[in-house]
Amino acid sequence: MSEKPHIVKSYEEQLQLLKDTIVKMGTGVEKQLENTIQSLVKKDISLAEKSIKDDELTDKYEINIEEQVVNLIALRQPMAIDLRETVVALKVSSDLERIGDLAKNISKRLTKIGTDLPNDITKNFEIAGLKASKQVNAVLNSYLHRAKDTAENVWNSDEEIDQMTNSNMEAAVKHLEKNKNDIQKVTQLLFMLKNIERIGDHATNIAEQVYFLITGDYLEGDRPKG
Amino acid sequence: MSKIKAENVNVYYGSKQALFDVSIDIAEKEVTALIGPSGCGKSTFLRCLNRMNDVIEICRVEGSIKMDNLELNSRKLDVVRLRESVGMVFQKPNPFPKTIYENVAYGPTIHGIAQSKEEMDQIVETSLKKAALWNEVKDRLDEIGTGLSGGQQQRLCIARAISVSPEVILMDEPCSALDPIATAQIEELIDDLKKEVTIVIVTHSMSQAARVSQKTGFFHLGKLIEFGPTDKIFKNPDNQQTQDYITGRFG
Amino acid sequence: MNNFKQNLLKKRYNAERRFQWYGKIAIGLALSFLAVFMFQIFSKGYSAFQKTWIVTEVHYDKELLLIDAESPSKDDLENADYYDVAYKAMTSLDPGLPEEEDRQLIQMVSYKYETEVKDLLLKNPDYLGKIVPIKLTASDDVDQVHKGNYPRDIPEKNRRVNDYQLQIYDMLNERGDILSEFNISFFTSPDSREAELAGIASSFMGTVFSILVCLAFSFPVAVLAAIYLEEFAPKNKFTDFIEVNINNLAAVPSIVFGLLGLGVLLAVFNLPRSTPLVGGITLSLMTLPTIIIAARASLKAVPPSIREAALAMGASNMQTTMHHTVPLSMPGTLSGTIIGLAQALGETAPLILIGMVAFVNTIPGTPVDPAASLPVQIYIWSESAERGFVEKVSACIMVLLAFLILMNLAAQIVRHKFEKKWS
Repeated sequence: MSEKPHIVKSYEEQLQLLKDTIVKMGTGVEKQLENTIQSLVKKDISLAEKSIKDDELTDKYEINIEEQVVNLIALRQPMAIDLRETVVALKVSSDLERIGDLAKNISKRLTKIGTDLPNDITKNFEIAGLKASKQVNAVLNSYLHRAKDTAENVWNSDEEIDQMTNSNMEAAVKHLEKNKNDIQKVTQLLFMLKNIERIGDHATNIAEQVYFLITGDYLEGDRPKG
Repeated sequence: MSKIKAENVNVYYGSKQALFDVSIDIAEKEVTALIGPSGCGKSTFLRCLNRMNDVIEICRVEGSIKMDNLELNSRKLDVVRLRESVGMVFQKPNPFPKTIYENVAYGPTIHGIAQSKEEMDQIVETSLKKAALWNEVKDRLDEIGTGLSGGQQQRLCIARAISVSPEVILMDEPCSALDPIATAQIEELIDDLKKEVTIVIVTHSMSQAARVSQKTGFFHLGKLIEFGPTDKIFKNPDNQQTQDYITGRFG
Repeated sequence: MNNFKQNLLKKRYNAERRFQWYGKIAIGLALSFLAVFMFQIFSKGYSAFQKTWIVTEVHYDKELLLIDAESPSKDDLENADYYDVAYKAMTSLDPGLPEEEDRQLIQMVSYKYETEVKDLLLKNPDYLGKIVPIKLTASDDVDQVHKGNYPRDIPEKNRRVNDYQLQIYDMLNERGDILSEFNISFFTSPDSREAELAGIASSFMGTVFSILVCLAFSFPVAVLAAIYLEEFAPKNKFTDFIEVNINNLAAVPSIVFGLLGLGVLLAVFNLPRSTPLVGGITLSLMTLPTIIIAARASLKAVPPSIREAALAMGASNMQTTMHHTVPLSMPGTLSGTIIGLAQALGETAPLILIGMVAFVNTIPGTPVDPAASLPVQIYIWSESAERGFVEKVSACIMVLLAFLILMNLAAQIVRHKFEKKWS
């Protein structure tokens, strides 16, 4: 659905800037998440540290978007598609900020326990992490291209991450039963796994927002739950 | 419940057609807003509802407009009686250049509603109270109505309109000449009045339509493009033209 | 470029200044014409408001009056012969004058001096048999001499006042027996062939009656016509035709209306000639289109929002018109009416045609009595040869102007009151 431009050019520019800022913030968050996961994959703790540091930027983006949204509502009183654009931007930025936070949290835990971890659990973590990463990437694409189907896909495939998380946590507990010395590391890992799942949830939230943005309706009710 | 039901209304000014097949259901005791760009026919439609188009000689109305099963677009209809039950408030406040009291008492006088001076006093007082003007003018009812401020004048016009207890009030851009405070007072009044009367309001301010109405109709080039619940129209209209208009993408 | 712009700006300012000057010159010219006109009228006319009297003594001698009764009744006084008494009163001014020259003295007072002598006795019956001073109206020639309007240095044969009369006048003047007083009779007397006796009472009343008749006929007809045309009549070719014709009617020369009055009112309806009734009706034909046009314009000027408001309240067309539109249009209609009446007030030609130019020496009491009107009076007097009428003409113009100013003032006041009430 391509809209005609607004009669008031500066309004059009403000809305465009808001969209661009969301995309930039999304790209930043994606990078943060990738660094976090790659830090474990490549056993390079400096990537984790970079992810922690980049979270400051994400927070700044969120504040910036909030300002833009408040300004738009106060000065332009957006209606219909523009209203949805504005409100969705606010919610999406908050979800992105949470994703950034969770990535940072995982990275912090990594710096604490190091990269020398039980291989089987790390592998599971990697798979789930890459899946979540893919979800975030897909949902951002759906936002950028206003692709309703992509958003619906993201929304439907969150179930996979949920299931993965469940089995991963079970596996982690089993590992702990066998190797009681790993208790500290595995506990941290459990949190990290849980965070991945939460990242998936936020991606789903964003997918819902994108769907609302495009259609004006809510994706609700029959979401397949794990 | 439907108060006014218009079906396939076509209006012509001479050979020029101003409204095309407008069908609309106006619900009782609700505020219905009609929006659209200038010259889209929304005021023309409004004026069909109290037959004010009769004044324009070259105007011709076709189709059916029923109010409680009474056909409004009929030669046999007594226009004077119709206008007793369908009041109107205009864009520019137009009180008579008479006293405040006489302004409000005019309708009841010509329609023979009040039997005595006491009854008339009562009608004037209640009408002014309902129009939220009583407290401001109760000590100067014998002053000339045109001496009031713009907002007060418009509320006086509303008091005048409700003095004959109409079932429907038509408002043709009632706030376009008023400041924001006066506008807010009129909007509050509309909110209050809708408990008792059906209101149809034509407005150029989309935010006003959004604020005061339950249903909104969007007119464009003489056609009713979209009609539906106000929140739906302003959040997620079905029609692309509606969306373009309310988001300022028109033209 | 900058220089060019500055020159242009200067030119623009100069053009504006020049334009303002043209305007000022035009206004100045108009004002000076008006001033000359007013000066002419006032300088010539003001003396008409003064009346010259000659004071002498009269002996109410019973014998000369031919009264026999011991104590005479009012009737006796009424029927007495005043010729000799009056004659003696005048000739006593110069007892040495030979009898055949006495006309020279008698000519110094108005021909009605005998009546004046009689009136004094009738007013004071106890003067009978006594010698009392009396004021007699000076003849118009003496009047003009006294007012300085009459040149004394031209040859005697070209003068209406001869050397002897001038000598008597100078003697009397020295004694203080020539009096100048406010000329009440100018306002209370009807027209006369003698300038010193002529007044405007008959023409003034004629004008008042004509205007009232004109108002009574034209105002209701014109207002009703205007209301119908503006508020009720359908807009079609026929009403357009009527509108064009009303506008044409306003441009018809007034003399044509006079002919109409002559041909229809006098010839067909046999209304009394020379009366304000016929004059007023004829004038109303003239004012009718003026009032209709003014009334329609002021009806049109009533904002449509007021009509809409009334109609939307459920008022019928008639109620809307009568309750709102007409009252609001009244100030404009009234001022249009006043303008029309003021035009009629100054109209001469149609009145001449219907006979209001006749010499009328009675004061009309009703609109069906013969009368003149002020502008016709001006016309009549300006045709007269006597020098005494010159100042009368100017005085009459002054009265007419005062009448007009008063009417306009009244119109302004009425208009002001109405406007206060309605908006």
